[in-house]
Amino acid sequence: MSLKTFSGPYIKNSQNASQIMNHLLIALMPIIIFTIYKNGYIPYREGYYDFIMIFYPLFFILIAVLTSCLTEISFFFLRKQNIKEAFKKSYAFLPGLFVALVLPLNTPIFILIVGAFIATAIGKLIFGGFGHNIFNPALLGVLFVMAIYSVNIVESGGYLNPYEADVISGATPLATEVEGIGGYATLVEPYGRLSDFFIGTIPGSVGETSALLIILAFFYLAINRMIKWRITTTYVATVFVMTYLIGTLHGFGAWYPLFHIFSGGLLFGAVFMATDPVTSPTTPVGQLLFGLFLGVLTVVFRFLSPYPEGVLTAILTMNLLVFILDKIGFYARFNFSKSMAGFVLAWILIVGISFLVAAGFDQKDEDANFVINEVAEVDNQVIYHVSQRGFSGWIEAEVILENDEVVNFVILSQTESYWARVENANYVEKLIAADDFEEVDTISSATITTDSLKSILRNVLEDYHE
Amino acid sequence: MSRGIRLEKTIKEIYPFKKYLNPNKVYLPLVAHKSEDITVLVKKDDYVVEGDMVAKSKGDLKVPLHAPISGKVLGFEQKYYLNNKKVKCLVIENDFVDQLDDKEYQLYDYTKEEVINKLKESGVVGLSGTAFPTYVKYDNDLKTLIVNAVESDPDTSSDAILINNKCEEILEVMDALVEIFGMNEGIIAIKKNDLLIKKIIKNYIGTYVKLKLVEVPDYYASGWERDLVWRIKKEKYKNYPIEKGIVVNGVATMYAIYETLKYHQPLIQRVVTFSGDKLEKPANVLVKNGTLVSDVIDFLGGLEEGSKMLIANGPLMGESIASYELVVSSDLTAVSIITALEECKEETCLRCGACVLACPAKLSPVLINEATDNLKQFRPQKCVGCGLCSYVCPANINLRNKVQRAKEEIA
Ligand code: SF4
Ligand code: SF4
Repeated sequence: MSLKTFSGPYIKNSQNASQIMNHLLIALMPIIIFTIYKNGYIPYREGYYDFIMIFYPLFFILIAVLTSCLTEISFFFLRKQNIKEAFKKSYAFLPGLFVALVLPLNTPIFILIVGAFIATAIGKLIFGGFGHNIFNPALLGVLFVMAIYSVNIVESGGYLNPYEADVISGATPLATEVEGIGGYATLVEPYGRLSDFFIGTIPGSVGETSALLIILAFFYLAINRMIKWRITTTYVATVFVMTYLIGTLHGFGAWYPLFHIFSGGLLFGAVFMATDPVTSPTTPVGQLLFGLFLGVLTVVFRFLSPYPEGVLTAILTMNLLVFILDKIGFYARFNFSKSMAGFVLAWILIVGISFLVAAGFDQKDEDANFVINEVAEVDNQVIYHVSQRGFSGWIEAEVILENDEVVNFVILSQTESYWARVENANYVEKLIAADDFEEVDTISSATITTDSLKSILRNVLEDYHE
Repeated sequence: MSRGIRLEKTIKEIYPFKKYLNPNKVYLPLVAHKSEDITVLVKKDDYVVEGDMVAKSKGDLKVPLHAPISGKVLGFEQKYYLNNKKVKCLVIENDFVDQLDDKEYQLYDYTKEEVINKLKESGVVGLSGTAFPTYVKYDNDLKTLIVNAVESDPDTSSDAILINNKCEEILEVMDALVEIFGMNEGIIAIKKNDLLIKKIIKNYIGTYVKLKLVEVPDYYASGWERDLVWRIKKEKYKNYPIEKGIVVNGVATMYAIYETLKYHQPLIQRVVTFSGDKLEKPANVLVKNGTLVSDVIDFLGGLEEGSKMLIANGPLMGESIASYELVVSSDLTAVSIITALEECKEETCLRCGACVLACPAKLSPVLINEATDNLKQFRPQKCVGCGLCSYVCPANINLRNKVQRAKEEIA
């Protein structure tokens, strides 16, 4: 009569790790279907795509998933682990899936593969695999390719699908925000209305645009207790409060904070990336602080750094602090006042930074697309220093006139996405050389940029004649 | 305060009550308040009468152990105790002579000091698993008496059966204690959905002005002392509720106090729930301390075929025992014999935080599990061993064990 023994407890609730992953996938399904609709079906309907290309977004996602799975399998193989066993417990598809959802659709496939590989290999495996990584693997991969290949990504079309590239005059909503605080006309109107932001028919990365579906996914996960909802809510609330303050100080309405929440992948980041269990705090107070500081950092990065990837950078930065936040969270369970310092600091930063940003940034002149910075007369030449709004930012130029003629046209600075095409075509030179610059053909894949260059000349001449 | 966890299985079946008071032999475990540091007062071949003191713990508390039956001392043997380790037991062979007299005493005639002395001398200890000597709690200025009838473990119904059978006695002794110690009130706390015992208590409680019934929500660990005191009295305390003049006893302990004060009966028996799918006829059995579980199983009609496990003290807090030669002790509340389980394979921690939310002692088991050194900072000594952290962990990590081990390590 032998009795089996092992140490208890002997009952367990039915929640297990793979169940959590299944719920995550269910929550992501509508988002994936939506991207097929927005980035595949709409361009097809408008005649930009062949039928088969409808499924390009899906294909895009699958390639990334496959890359990270293969990376893990080869890793297990090299480590001589039982591949089947190890694979089952490592949720290898996750980094690739998220890399694909966070990157722009036009990312060249090889860059996508590099991103998914880096996410898996550097983001996860060198830390010891699933559960041991400090940084969110997918975001690490995305950061890497954004840093190295941003030019290539923008070159190949950036965030716009072919249909959007023709009808929308801007890169991605937030890309226009860094030089100053934009108004409704620059931030929202080029892409439609705020409701388009909510539904998701705006340019953006593969999975991040539909606020509606992401919010639904959040509720689905929160109700099933599959997500650290404290992080998401405090994160979004913090960004809302800060941008509301900034907006109000500039006389904007409620659309302004909503714009900030619906764009730049904030909701996607707050729901899916910041709550990644492995790289976020486990204690309730730790999670609240995590969300607050994520909000603060996101606003800081959005307004004070030249990169629109505020969410990504904020999450990766906060990943570093998880251990400390958990410690604060641990003591706070016994004595809440021990975490007071953290909350006070967060609130000081929230209010302080909001005012700082609001005061430190000039509001862009709403209607001006063209600004004359300086006019000088030297001998019989007139030298204009001007700024003109282009495709993804302002173009600074110097135009020299002599006897009613443009004798020189120099681009001093620009941030245009498709500049290389303009340069390759020697477009500026052609404009100078032409009898009538209005007759010079635009470059079809850089229409807006080339139009802006013409506008510079047109506006300068107009001013000159006055 | 932590809300605790709603278990997936909470429906309680109250098993029938049975008595098994005359085993051929008892193996009285020489353990008092979890300590084996004990002075034995009898030797081999001595004759002992039921209720005689046969041993006494060393140290300050001096908890006595009494002979559960009359008969000859055969010597000492090692048997299994509820922590799955063997302990030295005093073996007494039953001569089946009933020696107890039935003299009754008036509960309300006792003075404070007499109650305390009686409890001390009868060796009354907490019967809900702590085995903490009860007299220590009463040796204080008291304001409130709380009787904890919140049975959390889904398979245990020994408290429910006692209320069912002995409700009048339990309420009477509560009232007497409130009277004798000049307390303001006596509270009996039950779970909201324990409809049966709620009905019974309501039938009797009306006659006592100072007693009242309080319901708590159906969450596991809502019966945990610290939680209960907070829910009922909104009091927090450092180590023990008596710091705030509150004394908390279990139902079984309260009934043991009744028997001691009413009949001068020392603590020699208790009700143990025998359950599990491998047991032909589950029951709440009144048994003598030192009874072998295998004898009770035979008495209940034996076991079904197949590989089995024996779990002492419930599936969440308890341990599996390697042998049926487990002895009944005053801290054994339940025995369950079930089809052998597979031990869940431990996976990598997801850091989901479920264990943190579950812990009623407000610990963060995941941090203890991750810590490589300086375990002390995470206060594992506060763990009450409720098992909820392991219950909720989606990665099947046995956190209860790890925290308990950390607790031992820093001790
Ligand atoms: S419940 Fe388990 S998986 Fe979740 S944090 Fe705790 S130990 Fe890790
Ligand atoms: S067993 Fe200990 S650590 Fe785990 S939940 Fe219970 S009290 Fe907390």
